[in-house]
Amino acid sequence: MKKIATRIWLLIFAFLIITVVFMYVLTNFLYQRLYVQDTEDTMVEVGLKLQTKYNNGKVTDEFIADIERFNDYSNLNIFAVRNPRELSACVPFDIDYETLIGPEERQKLLAGNYVQKIGYEPRFDRQLISVVIPLVDQNRLEGIIYIYFPLAKISELANSGVILLFISAFIFLVVVSYLIYKGIRHIMRPLNDLQRAVEQMSYGNYETRVPVNSRDEIGKLSSTFNKMAEAIQQEDEAQKTFLATVSHELRTPISYVKGYSEAMQNGIITENQKEETIQLIVREANRMERLTNELLQLARTENEQTEIVVYPIPLGETLREVQKILTHQADKKNITLHLDVDDALIIQADEVKLKQVFINIIENAINYSYENSKVEMVAIEKNGSAQITIKDYGIGIPQEDISHVTERFYRVNKARSRADGGSGLGLSIVEQLLKQLQGRLEIESIIEKGTIVKIILPLMED
Amino acid sequence: MITLKKWAFFIFSLLQIVWLAGCTEKTYESIERDRNFIASLNIQEPSLDFIDENGKVLAKWLFDKAYSGATLIGDDQVLLYGHQLNTMDVYTISTGEKLYSKKVEVGITNVYYDDNIKQFFITNSKTNTVTSFDQEGNELVTQQLGNYPMSMASYKDKLYVVNFKDTKLSVLNMKNLHIEQEWPIQKSSHGIAIVEETHELWIGGHGEGSKPNSSVKKYDLNTGQLHGEIDMPLMPVGLKKTRDAVLVVSHGHNELYVADFDGHIKWQQEVGANPFVVNQFKDYIVVAGYDDHKLYFIKDGQKEKTVDVGKGAFQLLVREEK
Repeated sequence: MKKIATRIWLLIFAFLIITVVFMYVLTNFLYQRLYVQDTEDTMVEVGLKLQTKYNNGKVTDEFIADIERFNDYSNLNIFAVRNPRELSACVPFDIDYETLIGPEERQKLLAGNYVQKIGYEPRFDRQLISVVIPLVDQNRLEGIIYIYFPLAKISELANSGVILLFISAFIFLVVVSYLIYKGIRHIMRPLNDLQRAVEQMSYGNYETRVPVNSRDEIGKLSSTFNKMAEAIQQEDEAQKTFLATVSHELRTPISYVKGYSEAMQNGIITENQKEETIQLIVREANRMERLTNELLQLARTENEQTEIVVYPIPLGETLREVQKILTHQADKKNITLHLDVDDALIIQADEVKLKQVFINIIENAINYSYENSKVEMVAIEKNGSAQITIKDYGIGIPQEDISHVTERFYRVNKARSRADGGSGLGLSIVEQLLKQLQGRLEIESIIEKGTIVKIILPLMED
Repeated sequence: MITLKKWAFFIFSLLQIVWLAGCTEKTYESIERDRNFIASLNIQEPSLDFIDENGKVLAKWLFDKAYSGATLIGDDQVLLYGHQLNTMDVYTISTGEKLYSKKVEVGITNVYYDDNIKQFFITNSKTNTVTSFDQEGNELVTQQLGNYPMSMASYKDKLYVVNFKDTKLSVLNMKNLHIEQEWPIQKSSHGIAIVEETHELWIGGHGEGSKPNSSVKKYDLNTGQLHGEIDMPLMPVGLKKTRDAVLVVSHGHNELYVADFDGHIKWQQEVGANPFVVNQFKDYIVVAGYDDHKLYFIKDGQKEKTVDVGKGAFQLLVREEK
């Protein structure tokens, strides 16, 4: 497989050769057209002027001598001929003699016209341009003035010149092809870098990046590649973290259950401690169940991104039902749930998913609220959408953590993981569900003061 | 019933005649038997122009075939031949119809008719032969000759043939065409005249190579001995013996020479453009200009009239009452 650079180079090289050949042919053509035409015109002009020296009758010795004298001072070759033999006068007879002019030319000359010839003349044994001017008196071809000039082809024009021409054309070709080769290599370097980087990526080296030096197509491609590489790297890291977290989260309750049950089996636990131990085992088992359920739910929501059927739901009713479900949980911490909802709001959603969203968020609000406080829920219409605000007066979320709270297994307080009983998946699920419902989530929080969570959902269209 | 049959037969016959007439060859304008004429065979665009003594064109025969020569056979027939043709055609002048055609070898250079023995002779440059025919066109005898036999003349029982691209003249017995003598001559000799008064044979010629010939040579009619040369520049190739003179045209200088039998030039005149032939017709000397396509009628040393003829006048045929 040839490299693309080689191919481009070959292409340009071929074009170069075509150009050089074309220029050569063109020059030859122009030479023929201009130089030959010009010479021919001069010859005709000179010939016709000399023709005026002829005073009818026989061509005299004096006339021939005159022409010869003129020839001595002219750069053209000129001579006069009066031998009828040379003028094809014996045409009807089969004479074995190569005459200076042929029968057709004789006819033209007899008519008083001059004859132009270009090409090989056996008499002179070379390529010639020649002009034959007739000396005609009363239909008699008494003689001719023959003018010729060697037709020097460009190759013959100057042999050294031609060699020089070929050498310079060759050097030109070599130099230009070298420069083109260098130029293409320069242009192709980023592409080569990119190719190497892609190769590295395929080996799993996601930290590979390419330098971006230009803003052309290749430059854009390079920076896009860098972005892609970054995204892949992040996703890879997230995947690793997720796996690590899942295994860690599962391992803790399992080791609890395993430890206590082995202790019971070995009779280390006394009879009166048994009840408490079994309660512990059940609690950890519940945690595991909840964790796996939530993981399952998360996986499912991620899979069914597209196919979801939404329908009009009265928002007030749903919120009241959620309030009812969570009242018991709130009572434990002596927290009151305030609900202020515009009953006219009807939104487009799936009821089960919608309830899940509210439950997750309100549960969080209860969990992280101080005892004897309250959680306020307000639903209003804003900018053509429904906006549900859930406000608690709890511990709040540090500013730097707010953007990460929807990540899976992300906990604001890593140390408190077990104590507050959360799996770290709740808000991830909320975000996934809202994405399906075409809603979004906004979180504001002040540490030690409380958190405001806003859910924006589309209203039913009229 | 019978009348109907007659009618049918009549119509059928008529159709037959029309059909047969359609098949026959082209007929040319005829010339009465007793009309005198001089005919010019023109070879650039083959044609035969018949002209009377007043310079009036009697007939113009235009040919499709590339004839390069013509000869009168007797009083009322003209034989047409071509160097590149493989047939020769004989026409009857008084009817303008073709009398017969005959297949021949390609390469005919000349046809000569002898009125005394009523035979004609054909020279061929491809086979280098001469062949005799009777008046009906039956082939008689063939004889191998030198290179490119062309000019011919006869005297008594001898036939003189000039070998154009050779250096010899062949003297044959006219009856059996046996070669009796071979005389050394110049190459490219052409034009022949027999002057019985001085017992001489005069030969003209083009000359060899680039050097043109400029004289007519006189040979002894019996021995072939060179009697002398007459200076007649340039390239005398058309010779014609008349009652009191020998007419010579030199095509290189467009010159007509009129010489007495001793070879003294009586007078000369520049005439025509590239003339190859001269002939006597009534009181006129007629010269044909090959390049200017004209016949010049000269009487008493004066050009009396010119007649335009077809392109490339190359031969002159004369018919006049004896």
